[in-house]
Amino acid sequence: MFESWIIRLISVLVVMIAVGLGWFQVRFSRLKKHGVEEAEARSKASVQAKTSALIVTFLYMVAMVSVAGLFM
Amino acid sequence: MKMMYGMLIALTPAVLYSLYAYRLQALLLILTGILSAVAAEAIYQKLTGKKVTVKDGSAAITGTLLALAVSTSTPLYALGISAAFGIIAGKQLLGGVGKNLFNPALFGRLFYLFVFADSILPWRRPVDMTTAATPLEILRETGDVTASLEMYSLADMFLGRIPGTIGEISALALLLGAAFLIYKKYVRWRIPASILTTILVLSIVTGQNPLFHLFAGSLILGSCFMATDPMTSPRYPKGQLIFGVGIGLIIMAMRWWGWQTPGVYEFTEGTTFAILAMNLTVPYLNSRLKPARKKS
Repeated sequence: MFESWIIRLISVLVVMIAVGLGWFQVRFSRLKKHGVEEAEARSKASVQAKTSALIVTFLYMVAMVSVAGLFM
Repeated sequence: MKMMYGMLIALTPAVLYSLYAYRLQALLLILTGILSAVAAEAIYQKLTGKKVTVKDGSAAITGTLLALAVSTSTPLYALGISAAFGIIAGKQLLGGVGKNLFNPALFGRLFYLFVFADSILPWRRPVDMTTAATPLEILRETGDVTASLEMYSLADMFLGRIPGTIGEISALALLLGAAFLIYKKYVRWRIPASILTTILVLSIVTGQNPLFHLFAGSLILGSCFMATDPMTSPRYPKGQLIFGVGIGLIIMAMRWWGWQTPGVYEFTEGTTFAILAMNLTVPYLNSRLKPARKKS
């Protein structure tokens, strides 16, 4: 049986990776448009993307903990 | 490094009490927490070509704190995965010690509460291991502190004769460790002081037993050992007070509305959420509340 905790684990990872990659693309292209060098833009966008991914993952888990509780 | 090992010494009374209360189960949980956190840190640092820093003791503290914050019903793999997640996502992803946004032990605990929600219950009493409701659960069910105090006296709660997570049950053991940390100046005393004062004031104002709220749940473990993490708490005094009051307000709000909103599930304890939420305000508090420099 595919345990439900595995689904919840995958959902956390998907949210984290999707937000991280998405945010990185947006910030990287914006920074490059503003004339920031590629290496610097990559490093700045990477830090911002990781931070956003963590914040969104935190909010996702908090929201899901309260919603999931309804079905516990 | 000295501070990290000081923290481990401060956790010793709570660890010893959990070993007395839950025997082999507590030992296995604590060992799993430490080993998983240390291994996750070492493997991540090796894979990303960074210097391996497990000897600084911070990963061991994260693993210990997380193990102390779970119930005896927790499967070891659940704790292992949560500790690894806390270390990698909560700490290493942003560059390691000093750069993390969230307290890694609490980030791992939130992950555990969400992913392994099915394995939290049942709570067990210390020593005899019979299943029972925690004081905060009784409070949620009845909406009355008195009902909870009929089941468990304040002395039970202070000494650790109540069900709960393996490390949160004995307020005495935790306060001994906290006194050591404050005496050695390893933690910023304003943070636990402002959290506990906020809880005391709010319970007095609402006519509830303040000592019940102080000893129930993971308040002392969270306020003395987790909220005081120097990397994820404010640097300056004013910021520390706001941080502590904010945590206290969120905890009490969750305890109130946890039992006053019928039909809606809420956790009976909000320490994890409160500290993580206030962790987000730390960069702002640090930049806005720097004390003015004295003119010489």
